[in-house]
Amino acid sequence: MKDSSINSREEILTRLKAAARAPVGPRPVLPPAREYALDAAQMQKLFVEQLKAQGGVAHSVSDSAALRAKLAEICRQEGISRAMAATDEVVETLDLKAWGAAAGVEIFLASDFPERNAYTQAVFDQVQAGITGADFAVAESGTLVLVHNSRQPRLISLAPLIHFAVVPVQRIVPTYEVALEKIFSAGSYPSQVSLITGPSMTADIQATPFRGMHGPQKLVVVIVETW
Amino acid sequence: MKLTTRQFKQTARAELNDARTQKFLQILPQRLSALRQAAYQSFTDADATHRFGHAIREEVIQRLPELLEDFEKNALANGAQIFWARDSAAANHYIASLAKAKGARYVTKGKSMVTEELGLNEALALEGIEAWETDLGEFIAQLLGKPPFHIVGPAINIAVEQIRDIFLQKGVLREPTLDPVALGKAARQFLRSKFRDLQMGITGVNMAVAATGTVINVENEGNIRLNKSSPRTLVCVMSLEKVVPTLTDALHMLRVLCRSATGQKAGAYLSFDSGPRRPGEIDGPEELHIVILDNGRSAMYADPHTREALRCIRCGACLNTCPVYGQVGGYPYGWAYSGPMGQVLTPALQGLTDTGDLVRACTLCHRCKIICPAGIDHPSLLLYYRHQDVQKNPRLGGRGAALGEWLGHTLFSLAGTRYGYWRLFTKLARLAANRQRRGDWIHGISAYTQGWFQSRDLPALPEKSFHERWEESKKAEDKR
Repeated sequence: MKDSSINSREEILTRLKAAARAPVGPRPVLPPAREYALDAAQMQKLFVEQLKAQGGVAHSVSDSAALRAKLAEICRQEGISRAMAATDEVVETLDLKAWGAAAGVEIFLASDFPERNAYTQAVFDQVQAGITGADFAVAESGTLVLVHNSRQPRLISLAPLIHFAVVPVQRIVPTYEVALEKIFSAGSYPSQVSLITGPSMTADIQATPFRGMHGPQKLVVVIVETW
Repeated sequence: MKLTTRQFKQTARAELNDARTQKFLQILPQRLSALRQAAYQSFTDADATHRFGHAIREEVIQRLPELLEDFEKNALANGAQIFWARDSAAANHYIASLAKAKGARYVTKGKSMVTEELGLNEALALEGIEAWETDLGEFIAQLLGKPPFHIVGPAINIAVEQIRDIFLQKGVLREPTLDPVALGKAARQFLRSKFRDLQMGITGVNMAVAATGTVINVENEGNIRLNKSSPRTLVCVMSLEKVVPTLTDALHMLRVLCRSATGQKAGAYLSFDSGPRRPGEIDGPEELHIVILDNGRSAMYADPHTREALRCIRCGACLNTCPVYGQVGGYPYGWAYSGPMGQVLTPALQGLTDTGDLVRACTLCHRCKIICPAGIDHPSLLLYYRHQDVQKNPRLGGRGAALGEWLGHTLFSLAGTRYGYWRLFTKLARLAANRQRRGDWIHGISAYTQGWFQSRDLPALPEKSFHERWEESKKAEDKR
């Protein structure tokens, strides 16, 4: 199998290199994106508009105390009694286990599970919501950027029916480039980065739109003004 | 995947008479085109953005081998494993062997045209491994054994009754319903158990970044993210032209791809994977295998004409704007790629022997060329294929002209290059044509010309040509 790959590699690259090729000219001029001209308030406004246009829900709260109250209120409305939380640098500071005990929401963390299978079963079947922070929020399309690592498991923002994302206001950036340049400028790259724009969607049957096909049916973003 | 391009005319005729196909073709392509148009307005300069995307794809095809080497080096540094596959058989064998080695009884798949091209599901089935499509449209198409109707909505034309019946039959649905949302939910529940206990997931690749060794997928449903997150082994299959130079280039192409495909600024999920999960991460694959597929592309690259088709980013904008696709839909195109995209790719990868009708099913209206975010000149390529077909290009399997066509053209060139013959030919042709005149018009000459006259009439021809009248008038003047 390995030999097959090595032989094919040589064969393919030799054939590609043997072809006569044209030199690559300079790239045409591309004016900068409009979003770079926005101030912080305008970026926040655009982010919220775009998120809503893609079916997301946005709330804005003044500080982390107001955030806790808002989360409790939404969980009550949605009937959420069990949720899994990430431990990224945003949500870790919220001490969600204590918050959940008061709000009547049992909070699980990935570290509560002895091994992967138990965690997978739980995140698929036992919790109704996932709570994460966001590394960036991109104004141009209302997109959340999540860098996955040991503190930000992939399935928490994906498998449960509701995804809560907490966004400190200063994490809103104009374009994808600003976010990804920061993420990829570190020496080693994260195993996965997800750009999330709205809930899971499909229109594959009769072009009828339907949310929550495989991922969350609801994406609730709470922007925190003072962090 | 089995090639059925030989039945192009037959399938097209059936689809032209299919009420459901026609209903969707009257809505879907126009709607997607309008959404795309609106979405492009969000760019500072839509034309400059369009041209910049062409320049990126131009660089990709001119620097392809170097970019692939860079991609490989960086993907390996990220901890991914690379398998170079010369053809479908090699790729399928590698994937099936991997699934067996991992003890996977079944695998799940994200929607990917390249695995359709491979015929991967059938190859896995032969090895006793079930492959489940997880994109809703693709899942329905798979259960029904139908090819994709449209790259964005593979089963969008399927009647809801038919979906209900197949879901009931396959145990996806318990209580009969005709509500599309309830049907979707049933599919979610059914596939969720597959995802939860998954050993190995398979996805395609929308872009592979040379500078970082990252593979990128675009989707709306979340099934690809589940494929990339839940199992311990992940296989990403990319045809070799998917590579782009840098992350910034990838972001530019993602913007135009999402807008061109569905009119969205961004698909619900864009996922960027650089190697397998790192130590301490509880989910994500322990092994990331990237299959780089040739399957005829390096041969296609040698010819600067067919190389142009490697620019394609599979957005589907050309389908939505094509007047032929707009009449016949996706089925007649007979392979993994439909619409103008398929018309330029399929002949290059499968040869002209079976695709003669495919390259001729085009009015050369240029709408695909104008809309293409990758800068492909489809009409010129289709003319090139037609030319290579009659010129019997051996690499492309050109068939040469039919005897009647050859005879006609040979006689025509014989007459057309000799003055006396030409005068004689036009005189006879005029006589023959005018014998059939009805009033001022000719509606047909003989059974051989029926096709030409099907949509045209010829004005009755004058008794004498300009040359004849000129000579007569000169003679008359000389006499005076």
